[in-house]
Amino acid sequence: MKKDKSKRLSDWEKKFSKEVKIETSKQFFHETDEGININPLYTKEDLLGYTFNDIQTLPGEWPYTRGPKASMYTNRPWTVRQYAGFSTAEESNKFYRKNLEAGQMGLSVAFDLPTHRGYDSDDELVMGDVGKAGVAIDSVEDMKILFDGIPLDKMSVSMTMNGAVLPVLAAFIVAGEEQGLDRKVLSGTIQNDILKEFMVRNTYIYPPEPSMRLVADIIEYTAKEMPKFNSISISGYHMQEAGANNVQELAFTLADGMEYVRAALSKGLAVDDFAPRLSFFFAIGTDFFMEIAKLRAARTLWAKIMQDFGATNEKSLTLRTHCQTSGVSLTEKDPYNNIVRTSYEALSAVLGGTQSLHTNSFDEAIALPTEFSSRIARNTQLILQNETGVTNTVDPLAGSYFVEKLTEDICSAAWKIIEEVEEFGGMTKAVAAGMPKLSIEESATKKQAKIDSGKQVVVGVNKYKNPKEPKIDVLVIDNEKVREDQIKKITTLKIERDSKILEGHLSRITEAAKNNSGNLLALSIEAMRARGTVGEVSKALEDAFGRHYATNVGVSGVYGKFFEKDEKFMEIQNKIDTFEKENGRRPRVLIVKMGQDGHDRGAKIVATSFADLGFDIDMGPLFQSPKDVAKDAIENDVHAIGVSTLAAGHRTLVPELMKSLNAIDKNNKIIVFVGGVVPEQDYQFLYDNNVSAIFGPGTSILVSAEEVIKLISKKH
Amino acid sequence: MINLRDRIIAGERAAIAKAITLVESSREEDINHSHELISALIKSPGHAIRVGFSGPPGVGKSTFIESFGSHIVNKNFKLGVLAIDPSSNFTGGSILGDKTRMSEISKNENTFIRSTPSRGSLGGIAVGTREAAIILDAAGYDYIFIETVGVGQSEITAANLVDIFTLIVGPGSGDELQGIKKGITEYADIFIVNKNDGDLASQASRTASDYKSALSFYNKDNNELETQVVLVSSIENKGMDEVLNSFNKIVEFNKSNNRFESRRENQLAYWLEEEVRNKILLQLSKENGIPGLIENEVQRIISGETGFYSASKTIIDTFLGKK
Repeated sequence: MKKDKSKRLSDWEKKFSKEVKIETSKQFFHETDEGININPLYTKEDLLGYTFNDIQTLPGEWPYTRGPKASMYTNRPWTVRQYAGFSTAEESNKFYRKNLEAGQMGLSVAFDLPTHRGYDSDDELVMGDVGKAGVAIDSVEDMKILFDGIPLDKMSVSMTMNGAVLPVLAAFIVAGEEQGLDRKVLSGTIQNDILKEFMVRNTYIYPPEPSMRLVADIIEYTAKEMPKFNSISISGYHMQEAGANNVQELAFTLADGMEYVRAALSKGLAVDDFAPRLSFFFAIGTDFFMEIAKLRAARTLWAKIMQDFGATNEKSLTLRTHCQTSGVSLTEKDPYNNIVRTSYEALSAVLGGTQSLHTNSFDEAIALPTEFSSRIARNTQLILQNETGVTNTVDPLAGSYFVEKLTEDICSAAWKIIEEVEEFGGMTKAVAAGMPKLSIEESATKKQAKIDSGKQVVVGVNKYKNPKEPKIDVLVIDNEKVREDQIKKITTLKIERDSKILEGHLSRITEAAKNNSGNLLALSIEAMRARGTVGEVSKALEDAFGRHYATNVGVSGVYGKFFEKDEKFMEIQNKIDTFEKENGRRPRVLIVKMGQDGHDRGAKIVATSFADLGFDIDMGPLFQSPKDVAKDAIENDVHAIGVSTLAAGHRTLVPELMKSLNAIDKNNKIIVFVGGVVPEQDYQFLYDNNVSAIFGPGTSILVSAEEVIKLISKKH
Repeated sequence: MINLRDRIIAGERAAIAKAITLVESSREEDINHSHELISALIKSPGHAIRVGFSGPPGVGKSTFIESFGSHIVNKNFKLGVLAIDPSSNFTGGSILGDKTRMSEISKNENTFIRSTPSRGSLGGIAVGTREAAIILDAAGYDYIFIETVGVGQSEITAANLVDIFTLIVGPGSGDELQGIKKGITEYADIFIVNKNDGDLASQASRTASDYKSALSFYNKDNNELETQVVLVSSIENKGMDEVLNSFNKIVEFNKSNNRFESRRENQLAYWLEEEVRNKILLQLSKENGIPGLIENEVQRIISGETGFYSASKTIIDTFLGKK
């Protein structure tokens, strides 16, 4: 006999309450980082009362919640697109060619930090960064080597470039030209998303407003000249990496998108002229269903946004996205677990309907991937495509009470933030005021506190630790050699070119930048063709725009709140109070980022939570040289310097820092500790250079703080 | 101490830094050492002009100092900056972030930049700021900038530290104009109207003329220089020469009619009074003074044994009697 529905529900509720020993299931829910409540059960009733998500719609139909295309993977699976760059153009080229033979269908270039920040490899300022975390490109000559033997008319190329976007894109276009190709046939994507740089990644060069002009000029130029090229990849990825929750990532990314649409409209373009070439890029973390729902919500909201902008072309209305599995979810401890994490994340991305995907290598928490680790990463996707059957049905989770409800919940939470940004006057203004940056930093600090306090489990890190940590091989880069080679190439280039002609091009760039006239990409192409360098073109723009310096210092008090009455936390506070009584002041620590590495999430979290513990924290500006850091440390008479390193610059920069400290005061008692991504092989090297402690990824703040106060107390 | 003094006078960076730590320290033996040091240093004064920068939080004090400071060091002057950072939090720790806005000048060999947590101490400055300025002066710096936390009436204490007191303001509403009361104008030598750039430019220049006309209502006596109002943009480096000219004008004018020296004398009196007041209060509250004296009298007032004014008299009499 069939019971009526409400009777069945109340029976379930009774059973549930008995099992979990809680009075009603209403009191039993899980609150996500986004502040969304996840219930233990969803039923048909949860499909009702939606504002954004229309569950009746089909794939390829407005608002495209179920996918931008009708056939999705049943026709053609997503593109396996692995992001990589190896120090020099030669090595990267070799790597790309090997991967293309092994079944990869698109390639994605990672540039080194000096290139991102518009410095040539021979610039003193970037000594420690050349060839780290990506390939060094100084001129068209490097770009030609990078794509040697790779037909740019057939292969789509994705380039992660934002700051020095003009000279790099120009060099790519000229490299194509010199392969004998018209720029009209070039296909691919340039990231060109500068707004998120001001929020999280910090590889900007110019202030926000002129930076927006570069974006607009590129959209304008490519809309007219390069019909197969995606002029921008609006990226939430780095926000999640910096600690944003999924709703923040989605909302700020779409709000960025709206700002770029406005910038392009201001150039006099019609919305359907350029909107089909806008693409997106999201991170996929370990919250399995949340990530699936995020991609569905992203498409839903974008369709609405673009309709409001008056778009009618279906390609303008559909959000197409690349996804990458989360780097920040990877751990240094028990690193083979990362293969499993990446697999689940990849499955999430696919069930959410991504158009292309990068799966991280398991060693990326420590170093650049090796050949072995990148093969496993690529195969993770190939197994999904070929063995699991996930490609046989479009949007297979549609109709799931839970996933549909979650899609709706994310839509409405994200929409609220988007409305806040709009009230601010759009993203450029919100970014200049530091609004998104602060809210992301607050989330990041909360997340760290949750992990450190054990409220969130990370297997192998704060629970189920492996007593026998495996040793893994990582790629070591000889940065000095790379730098020397690049310097030689630049020297030859400068001898062989006609400097007079180049100077004319460069001064035209400065002028056009000053007068807000002409198209800066078109002018940059001229300069790069005349064998200008990335640094020279960037400088020509800097002469007009100036360089941007970030100033914000983080949110204090957030970390401490998670530890009220925590014994360990209070114990450290007591130690600090004792230190103050004995020494007449609090322990003082300078937290720095050196070189061109702008990822400051770690540094900010350490700074604010150390301050919550009772340290006096000096925050150094970004992009300091070791010499600047030494001066800062001595003048403020700090007890210790914490160096945050994520881009392998420490091998050059830390010894340089030691030298500079001793040059100012050979009797200094300053303790230097290093935190971030440090491969095991570098530990001894750093200890030999008088580094007192090294804290790898996943180190609890409490552990590092306790060690630091101990080290300081020993010397004072 | 003699050794440290000589090293400071020789301009040695690490020695200056250690000395500032000493004058900021709350440790008994450090305090004694610092008194010794300051007494020694004061005998070999330099020629520094001390400038105070005050203004509401967020108005761009650090950014202005970055921009104006670059201007000064480019003219080959040596610049010391003492930045009092307001950001102390509930656990007593603090984040000193002012320097993130001074990345250009902090690189320069001719600067010395020190941040200090305010720790909620009086007057928008920290314990030891006056002494730190003496140290930098002895070390041969041409200009010493003191950036205050910039809130409230207490800025007057900061004004008593410097030869030129500057108020930085933003392109503002009428509300801020109402803030110009007689008290503040007596102290401020210059109003710097910042953010004369971009969307705010026209508002900034309007604000500057509003300040000028508002200030004209407060007549200064004849041998006083009128309060200067300068319009600047820190991000576009506009108005920096005008600020420096105004500084020179103020110094020249004040030196020409002895105001410069008499101001320093008055400040000395102010600080001596402060020192005495603090020491007396310390004596009244500390174990080595007269323990429980104040608490006792409070209880006696509550219980009706004595009145407020007689209690005060009792305390003073007891204290003086003890001496």
